[in-house]
Amino acid sequence: MAAEKAEMDKLKKECDALRTQIEAARKAVNDGSMSASAGGVAGLGRIQLKLRKNLKGHLAKIYAMHWSADSRQMVSASQDGKLLIWDTFTGNKLVAVPLKSAWVMSVAFAPSGNLVASGGLDNICTVYNIKAASPKTLRELDAHTGYLSCCRFLSDTEILTASGDTTCCLWDLETGKQKTVFTNHIGDCMSLALSPDMNTFISGACDSLAKLWDLREGACKQTFSGHTSDINAIAFFQNGHAIITGSDDCSCKMYDLRSDQEVITYQDPSLNAGVTSVALSNSGRLIFAGYDDFNCHIWDSLKGEKIGVLSGHDNRVSCTGVPNDGMGVCTGSWDSFLKLWN
Amino acid sequence: MEEMDLPQMKKEVESLKYQLAFKREKSSKTVTDLVKWIEDCVPEDPFLNPELMKNNPWVEKGKCILL
Repeated sequence: MAAEKAEMDKLKKECDALRTQIEAARKAVNDGSMSASAGGVAGLGRIQLKLRKNLKGHLAKIYAMHWSADSRQMVSASQDGKLLIWDTFTGNKLVAVPLKSAWVMSVAFAPSGNLVASGGLDNICTVYNIKAASPKTLRELDAHTGYLSCCRFLSDTEILTASGDTTCCLWDLETGKQKTVFTNHIGDCMSLALSPDMNTFISGACDSLAKLWDLREGACKQTFSGHTSDINAIAFFQNGHAIITGSDDCSCKMYDLRSDQEVITYQDPSLNAGVTSVALSNSGRLIFAGYDDFNCHIWDSLKGEKIGVLSGHDNRVSCTGVPNDGMGVCTGSWDSFLKLWN
Repeated sequence: MEEMDLPQMKKEVESLKYQLAFKREKSSKTVTDLVKWIEDCVPEDPFLNPELMKNNPWVEKGKCILL
């Protein structure tokens, strides 16, 4: 017992020393700043978007939405126990997928458009073939010991999941088995995002940390700290070199991967609501952040200024997403509606 | 959040060593590169280039919609 405690203390000291060294390594390369680099960039002025469509159909809180790669279809998940697939050009519902468990927290569209996946308090990620005559369950991925908070397809044969059991997992859809388990967070994983080159992914968790993982090696390559509460949302810039996080501490942050630093914090004293979701415009200049205050606020990523707001929901904005063609933004809410803006 | 046990603590040490080894680049360069990349992409960003938003898929063009 005493020997074990002695070894634990030794390891704890080693961890503390390594963390100090990492901080020192970060400081050593931090010879720049966003205000220095973006000083000459012109401000954008107010961004005013119009509400183009109000999609009605769900009967309870919407928890998640995801765009199809075609930038036209979109899937939404509600605790009314349904996934709805929408044609956003017409506003029509194309497919309704009834869920075994109504407690859904996440939904994803496969890049091919053939499959969607969802999961939540059932701890299971269920994959559906939506091209069949009626939606058919393809796989039930059942190994997490906590809720499924997020899922993203790499292809029709691989999917990544994030869970309240503090792990993320890469699954083989052909066998239904786990390929890799990513363990390093010490709090519930809430969100994940794939890098554009698909070699890495980032996760945000209730331990207030964001982590960058090597998909094939299974290891955590970098850890980003600074938030003081759960990270609920995370997104990559399309060059794969920076990320945005959104947190219950009411702020969003940009982290630069190459220098391993926090670069800028997006916060406003008048904003006292947690961030639930984030999405970036195609250039990364605009950040769309959904908040508990029923709004989606728009930030200038380079200037750190709040430059717009999407108001209209009657409850928390739970999800936001920009399609691949960058032609607009979708917000989903606990008020049961999805809104399209551009 | 629970306390780690011995095997987890050992893994944490290994992970931190691996993370320490990451080759960090100077932020004066990387942040400048990021700003430049974003600025170069702005002309292609429909939210920031009204020309691109002219063919708005979410706005009805005529009185009839093709279903």
